[in-house]
Amino acid sequence: MATVSNWIDHLSASEVAGAVYPGVGSEGILVIVGIVIWIGWHVVSSMQESNKMNDIARRRPGKDDWKSNTPDW
Amino acid sequence: MTDQLSALTTIFTEFYYWVTVVLMFLIHVGFCMYEVGASRYKHHQHTLMKNTMLIPLVTITWFFFGWWIYWAFPTGPGLAPSIMNESAALITDESAFSATWYTATSDLMAINLNDHISGVFWAAFLLFSWTAASIVSGAVIERITTFAFGILAIAIGSVFWTIDAAWGWHFDGWMLKILGYHDAYASGVIHAIAGGFALGILCVLGPRIGKFSSSGEPRNIGPRNPWLVTVGLFLIYTGFWGFYAACNIPIYDLGPEYGMEGVTFWTATNIYVTPTTLSGITFNFLMSLSGGLLAGYVISKGDPFWTYSSGLAGVITASAGNDLYHPIQAMIIAMIGVWVAYKLHYWVERKFKIDDAVGAVAVHGYAGFVGLVICGFVLNGYPSSGYSVGAMWDGTTYAAINPLGMFIGAIIMFFVLGFFPGYIIARVLHGMGKLRIPREVELAGLDYQILEDASSDEKAVASSSR
Repeated sequence: MATVSNWIDHLSASEVAGAVYPGVGSEGILVIVGIVIWIGWHVVSSMQESNKMNDIARRRPGKDDWKSNTPDW
Repeated sequence: MTDQLSALTTIFTEFYYWVTVVLMFLIHVGFCMYEVGASRYKHHQHTLMKNTMLIPLVTITWFFFGWWIYWAFPTGPGLAPSIMNESAALITDESAFSATWYTATSDLMAINLNDHISGVFWAAFLLFSWTAASIVSGAVIERITTFAFGILAIAIGSVFWTIDAAWGWHFDGWMLKILGYHDAYASGVIHAIAGGFALGILCVLGPRIGKFSSSGEPRNIGPRNPWLVTVGLFLIYTGFWGFYAACNIPIYDLGPEYGMEGVTFWTATNIYVTPTTLSGITFNFLMSLSGGLLAGYVISKGDPFWTYSSGLAGVITASAGNDLYHPIQAMIIAMIGVWVAYKLHYWVERKFKIDDAVGAVAVHGYAGFVGLVICGFVLNGYPSSGYSVGAMWDGTTYAAINPLGMFIGAIIMFFVLGFFPGYIIARVLHGMGKLRIPREVELAGLDYQILEDASSDEKAVASSSR
């Protein structure tokens, strides 16, 4: 996985390779993983939000009920 | 970097943009404080979370595709040829400033020992993206779902504002060439578009419950915490100052850049690579801030909410030409912008029943629009670029700044890339039933569950003896 194993060799090359992160060449896979995480986040958080909203809506609290729930701490 | 001078210049530039990014973070801190100060107690935590979550959502999408759009779209595509490759297609070739270097898979989008600029420049633009999305956030508080806002934040922050930046802010942008568009500190490319986008959403989203009486009279839902609003706006001013620096290139030799043989002229430039000075724009930033505050105080009869917002609106109005204006011109332009924005806000509210909770459409949208129009008159005849001077509509050269071009530019920013996309995406989300929270939740408060849980925790702790 290590792209650099010896800095002296790396920096004394005739053309220094700029990319030094682990797994150079696997950027495409990383981007696909990132996009899956991004879209997945929307799906999961949207479901959580809908459930929460529906739960509150079902209970039909009054518009001033929150005042009795305001903690002092 | 093989010699010390080029190393110093490069690392100075890297550090310069890094500092502006840190300063601009204060804009977002300010927006969060401002929104929480403006919202009612029962909606506080949801309001804060909504604005906070735009940070990761816009950041990752800016990494995936937003930054690529900026470098790919200056030609339209198809509207004016690039000065780099003389093609009007998307700029994805091997030229120096091509989008091909800024795909998410590029090795320049990471730590790269041969590149000290891409990351800080990417981040500076990203902070502009957060600002665009955060402007929208304030207008829609207390009734939008976090899901819908997330989608809309990505749309404005990573798609539409970056298209307008490619068109009207990039040194190769078609709007400079065809229209003579000039917008040095983003009256239009950030503020008018974000204001227009917010207005488009508000038309679909509707007002907060209770905002209008049964006869249609608007009611004031004033800021709950004026101190938070005050500190928030002061932080936005501070971050905006950093934004001004971020819009400049700090050190550049324009002689060889413009092809002038034997000429050396080191200077700071604006985003269009035309000369200005950090010193000069500091005059103008402070004088336009002052003009906005003075006008806002009088026109709102000393209302703190509007006075502070007017300081911001003043800077926004003058920003299009603050690289060249005289400071007193900047002050007067700021005053005009504030007057128009204030009057338009209340007219639109009454006429169209638009509930803009924090005045974002007025402060950013109307002030930005007016600033572009005024800039067209005051800077009429100045070159929009240093690379060449040509006629309007030509497309192969750069048109001079002019009133008609700037007016068309304002329409593009506010309506074409702002209002209509905001309206259409909001309609789609509304059609999916995902735009607005249920009425029962809006009445009870978005934080109802959180408050109930906290209260129950408090009782449990209070009743315990060990």
